[in-house]
This record gives sequence, structure tokens and C-alpha cells, in this order.
Amino acid sequence: MQLQILSPAAARVDFKVPPARRLDTLAGKTIGLYQNMTGGADVAVDRVAERLAARFDGVRFERYGGDRRPDRPTLSRGVHIDEAEAAVIATEVDAMIGATAH
Amino acid sequence: MVAMEKAGVPAVGIAARSFARAWQSCVDGWGQPGTAFVTIPHATTGQQPDYIHRMVDEQIDGIIAALTTLTAQTAVSGSNGSGGGGSMETFTVTLDDSPAGLDAVNRFFEERDWSDGMPVIPPTPAAVAAMLQGTRRAPQDVVMVMEPGFGLATVEKVAVNAVMAGCAPEQFPVLLAALDCIAQPEMNHRDMQVSGHTEAPLLLVNGPIAERASINYGTSAMGPGVVNKANTAIGRALRLCLINIGYCKAGAGDPNFIGLPTKFGMCIAENEELSPWPPYHTERGFRREDSAVTVVTVTGPTDILDSGSRTYRDTLENIASMMFYRHSGGGGWLRGWQSAQVGHTSKRVPYQGPYHPIMLSPSRAVLLSNAGMSKRATQEWLHQHCRVPLQDAIGGRPLPTDEAGRWQHHPELQGLAEDPDATIPALETPEQYLLFVTGGSTHYANFFYGTYGIATMPVEAV
Repeated sequence: MQLQILSPAAARVDFKVPPARRLDTLAGKTIGLYQNMTGGADVAVDRVAERLAARFDGVRFERYGGDRRPDRPTLSRGVHIDEAEAAVIATEVDAMIGATAH
Repeated sequence: MVAMEKAGVPAVGIAARSFARAWQSCVDGWGQPGTAFVTIPHATTGQQPDYIHRMVDEQIDGIIAALTTLTAQTAVSGSNGSGGGGSMETFTVTLDDSPAGLDAVNRFFEERDWSDGMPVIPPTPAAVAAMLQGTRRAPQDVVMVMEPGFGLATVEKVAVNAVMAGCAPEQFPVLLAALDCIAQPEMNHRDMQVSGHTEAPLLLVNGPIAERASINYGTSAMGPGVVNKANTAIGRALRLCLINIGYCKAGAGDPNFIGLPTKFGMCIAENEELSPWPPYHTERGFRREDSAVTVVTVTGPTDILDSGSRTYRDTLENIASMMFYRHSGGGGWLRGWQSAQVGHTSKRVPYQGPYHPIMLSPSRAVLLSNAGMSKRATQEWLHQHCRVPLQDAIGGRPLPTDEAGRWQHHPELQGLAEDPDATIPALETPEQYLLFVTGGSTHYANFFYGTYGIATMPVEAV
């Protein structure tokens, strides 16, 4: 016996996000460190900063997550970087490293 | 991280290995499958700093490479796979009376990850057409765009999943109303879907639709059994929609660390016949004769035995004693309302939460009512008596302040911050104690711990 059945899987809204241009080096660059307020994520990005600072001259860091920046959105596990905040952060850093406890 | 890449900033994430599929599922949905990430062996929560350092150190080269090199992986800018197996495709499956032949449809779905793991009813064109007779909505109407996969929930696609779950057409409007709820921004369905925390949607049905759709509100209504066929099918249909339309697949879009048995589906109606109180949907602006569905995101449940209580106060204290434990998030309202984020721009929508459903057996509600406690008075009692230490609510994280150092939210409580004996209500308002009278009339209550949002929407009259 042959049975015809329909697909339960939905069509998806088609987004396309091209990758950002990569950096030639991290030396002299400003790196964003984002942790989403989950346990230990701050320890992870702080360690990354420590290791990068030892390897690249002049590298600087800007930290994001929680209530660090007055008049800016609180960023957490439940509140992610939105498009507007990403545009602001893009004026402050050359690259971003993010960590989640999960 | 995709938002940063979209803004032109190279980005890389660090996540636990067990979340690799979840990460991939999310960035697939956001349209950049190649978004860079490195994995560490374990989640960092609770780990000692030295151990986290060792895990991170092993990935430093990978982090540097991700920011400086456009690898074959990060170069994948593609799309999120629109239509990939997603259009209303029709397939032909061959069955026979052998054990394997009888299972052919299920195997077909399992091979495509289109199932909740249990056998389904084959969604034939005729069965789907019959399901569509249960609504006045047009088959191609889009009920919502479901995250994390940004799937288009057309009425027809929802009908396919409803057939698979075993729904009858008269139950279809309840499922559509549940999706209308989940479509509300304040439901925060993204977090409900993708959080590593364990939570599931609980469907609460009020009004005449409960009888029309054969939804049980009596004994064992949330359990198995033929009398609960509608409850089971509707709850299950919603889960299949979350899997097949939202692309929230176990271990990927759905990274719950251990999962919940309630994620298979939860749907129950209020026992309006035996309840001494107005039905729940009247609290949400509906008339008693209206039909409505409430969806609330919860974890749990916990059974509250009340056999030893002798007064209404015993019962309330018994319920209250089960509701909060240290660091369970009580008093979180001190930081202001939470934000849900919706759509591909991650627009922020403030919402009040959580709502904690307390499913009271009719006998517990009658006991309270006979003691003169209205539903509102009961909610106010719980609000007043379920408290957490203020210092626990503050925790180790400073509260947001203005330039003068005043708390941005509830500055009137700031003077108590150093008082170790100061307590505050665990929830901001009484109505967040969602009292729902249901099930058989015994000495029990069930308590679900609310996590994210809540919404109530009408059920169409067909």
C-alpha cells in the first residue's frame, strides 16, 4: 500500500548575513569581551584577555554584559545584543569575543 | 555574535561542547551558519577559575584564528535554508503489514528529525484537509514566525502537525489559539525554545470550548488515558509545531540540559463546574462565556500534599512553603521588568514575569472559599507571605543605578539594602500567582514554577 503524506516542516524566513571582514592582526586593536552573565563566562573572557594581552602589543579590551554601561541596554543570558546595540558596539571595538556558561 | 557580524565586526563565541549543536542551530536560524565558535569541554557555571583557565587556554589559537582568518567555515554566509524540506511537499511512503512496513511512516519522519520520537498519525492530504475544516482561517495565513528557526507557521502547516499528534478538527482552534499566544512578544518564545533551562509551555483552557473539544478537566486530566485524549493530542501538537515549524529540535535548537517529560505536551481545562471562583480567563479580560487559551512557560511541576491541613491558613502556608528556595530568582522584579527579544532585529519588549501556576484541586479552592477567601484574597495572601531576603534578591550583582547612585527600580527599598532581616515579596504582584482550579477534588495542589512569559488569546468560534 502506498500512502501520500505531507511535510510537517515549515518554510523559513530567508535571512542572509555575510561574514564580517577579518582582522590582519589583533595587535593594536580593541577587542570587545561579551559575557552573558551566566556563571563563569566572565572568568572565561577575562582569561582570553589575559592571554591575548601577553601575545599582542597594544591590544585593548572593552567589556560588555550586565549593567556595565550606564544608559545602555543591560545584556544578559535573557537579553542579547540587538541590532541597535550592535551598531553602537561596532563603533567601539574591532572584534568581539563572547562567552556563555553553557 | 551574528548581530555583531551583521554590524561588520568579526566575532567568535566560546561555548560548552554539549551546546555545539544548539549554537549551530541558532546561527543557522540567524542566517550565518558559519559564525565562528570554539568549544570547551564543560559549562563554566560553578567551575573553579583555574579549571576555566585551562579550558580556555586550549582554545586561544582557535579564537585568534577565528578573528583573523576567513575559513571555509566562516565563509559560509548562506541563508538559513528557506524551504529546505519546508514547503508543502508531498511524499509517498510504502506500507505493508510486516512490523517494518507498519512503521514506515514513523521511520520516514524520524530519518528527517520531524518527530517527537513517538509514533504519529500519517498526515495525508485528506486528513489535513479535514483538520482545516476545524477553522475559518485560510490555509496560507501565517499564524506566526517561530524561532529559533524562523519557520513560517501557516495554518496548513500547523494542521499537518495537528494530524500527526492525533488532534481532531474540533480541537484545532485550541491549538491555533495557543500559537496566537506564543506569537505575542511578551511570551518570549525565543527563550522558551532555546534556553538550556528546562521549561515547557502549559496550555490552560477556559470556556465552552473545553466541552466542545473534549478536554478533560476532571480526575487525572494531565495524565495518560483515553479520557485525556484531547489534552494529550493538543499538547503534543504544540510540541510538534515547536519542533517542525520552529526548528527546536532536541539537542540542537532545544538544548535543555536534561529536558522535561512535560515537554511532550501539557494541556488542561479549568474545572469551572466545581470551582467556587471565577474562571481564570475572566482575570485576563474575557467573559465567562468566552473561550480562551492561556499559555504560560513553566518548569516543574511539584505536587503539594495537603492532607495534614486543618484550616485554610494551613493550606496556604503549605503551598507557600513549597514555592521558593534560595537563588530561585525570587525578588527578581527588583531589577525592573525583564525584556523579551523578538524577530531578526532582536527588538526588546518589556514584560512582567514570571507567572507561577498553582493548580488547585476543587476541594482546596472550596476550602479556601468557605473560609471567606476569594481568589483575589488568596493571591494577595500568597503575595504577602511568599517572601525572600532582600539581600538574596540583590545577590552578588549590583542593581542598576542612576548617576546619583539611586536604584533605577524601586529606590524606596534602597534604605533596607544593608538590613540582613529585610524581606520583599518573591513576586511583584498578586496576579502572578496564577490560581487554576482543575482535576479531581482531592487534598492536592500542583505547583509549576513559571519562567518566561504568559499570554491569553481567544478561541475562534467555528
